[in-house]
Amino acid sequence: MDLLINGIASFLASTGLAKIFAASPETVVQFAGIDFGAIIMIAISCLLIYLAIGKQFEPLLLLPIAFGMLLSNLPGAGIMHNEFFVSDDPNFHMDFGTILSKGGLLDLLYLGVKLGIYPPLIFLGIGTMTDFSPLIANPKSLLLGAAAQFGVFVAFFGALFLGFSVYEAMAIGIIGGADGPTAILVTKSLAPKLLPAIAIAAYSYMALIPIIQPPIMKLLTTKKERQIVMKQLRPVSRIERLLFPIVVTIVVAMFVPDAVPLVGCLMLGNIIRESGVTDRLSKTAQNELMNIITIFLGVTVGATANANYFLTPQTLFIIVLGLVAFCISTAGGTLFGKLMCWITKGKINPLIGSAGVSAVPMAARVAQSVGQKENPTNYLLMHAMGPNVAGVIGSAVAAGVFLSLAKFF
Amino acid sequence: MDFMEALTNGGVVTLIGMGTVFAVLAVLWGILELMQRIFVKAEKAPKKAEAKKPETVPAAVEALTTDDEELIAVLTAAVAASLNTSTYNLQIKSYRQVGAKAPAWNRVSRRENLQY
Repeated sequence: MDLLINGIASFLASTGLAKIFAASPETVVQFAGIDFGAIIMIAISCLLIYLAIGKQFEPLLLLPIAFGMLLSNLPGAGIMHNEFFVSDDPNFHMDFGTILSKGGLLDLLYLGVKLGIYPPLIFLGIGTMTDFSPLIANPKSLLLGAAAQFGVFVAFFGALFLGFSVYEAMAIGIIGGADGPTAILVTKSLAPKLLPAIAIAAYSYMALIPIIQPPIMKLLTTKKERQIVMKQLRPVSRIERLLFPIVVTIVVAMFVPDAVPLVGCLMLGNIIRESGVTDRLSKTAQNELMNIITIFLGVTVGATANANYFLTPQTLFIIVLGLVAFCISTAGGTLFGKLMCWITKGKINPLIGSAGVSAVPMAARVAQSVGQKENPTNYLLMHAMGPNVAGVIGSAVAAGVFLSLAKFF
Repeated sequence: MDFMEALTNGGVVTLIGMGTVFAVLAVLWGILELMQRIFVKAEKAPKKAEAKKPETVPAAVEALTTDDEELIAVLTAAVAASLNTSTYNLQIKSYRQVGAKAPAWNRVSRRENLQY
């Protein structure tokens, strides 16, 4: 009889409900023994699931992220052990033996993030989906893609000002690159504790680009500038499209070797696309491979959202700084577009500068629709794609710079 | 590391970072312009694809502004494609931009096709 009662008692103690009402001493956010951390995190993940499905905020990533968050915060489920990967102890080293022998499903999948495998593979897929010919036809757009990285550095500075460490500030700044995989790659190396907050901020703001950008674009340009119709882009020859990925890879590697995993994979994907002889590879990279990696990446990044690290004032700062970074990047691109408009005596519509933030193709579509509101016959989409894809290269280079400078601090 | 030191470091990182991003993309710009010089100029042996037999095609009369052969070639191809015929059967006599005068429905559907 005693045995039975003991059995029932220990079973009850192992339920999730019991664990919520008997918070373990490590949980920071608790009150009267109740684990509020887990409860709040589950509520946040439900809110994000709603945003992903109901509001369609980048659902392809936000939904896996939100559900990963839900999975890892269920008390007692133990499919993710954040303590294997991050610690407050400065001498902490990741122990692969422990991860492999004791880790749950998500711990093992998370290795792909931690070792920097998933983001370059996503870039491979993006490369096979991206047509760089608008950029090749109008190479000046590269400068717009560079100018729109300004927000990265302003947010970096702002984060330093708010008392974040240099590493953390770098990871926060890269949100301004408007590029999810890049932000994840930088954050997992420099500030792993901030990973979920930064990933969620980056992807939510990318979804909000059609709301964030237009007011800034309108504020900084005159009606006349927005009405500028640009000259038709020239057709691009096959040899140029084949040489482009090779040249970009070599140049980037010469200047910023740390950006090579990202840019190299992007260009590998692109040459698979443009070669015309590797159709099967191209199809796999942009569909199956990309989708599989997206699921793994989303779920595991979401799963790192642990109440102890996520429910802090820092998360709020990150959300605010991320927004600032996005706005400054948009402004930087637009202002540089104005400068180029002035230099070329009105041949360039400054609106395409705002597309220099890399969120492809959302930012280009925003430039198109803002331009069309002023002049319904104006089609800026292809012109805006140039700075847009240049922004992808630009933010990957900025990330490479951060990763290599981080070694000196 | 105290606050001032952090800000100085931040300034240095910002300068190096922004400088590198601009430098790398500017170098790429140069190389792409060079590629354009080499491959496009060589290809541009002047092609005059113009008509054979007249089968006049719509578009109201208004002055041809400049010598935009390219535009005419594109227009010919577009008309040929939509009429399911060859460009040799067509001759573009004149064209003009329709401006915002296209019916509202047309514009709405065009815009919808491009919207996010």
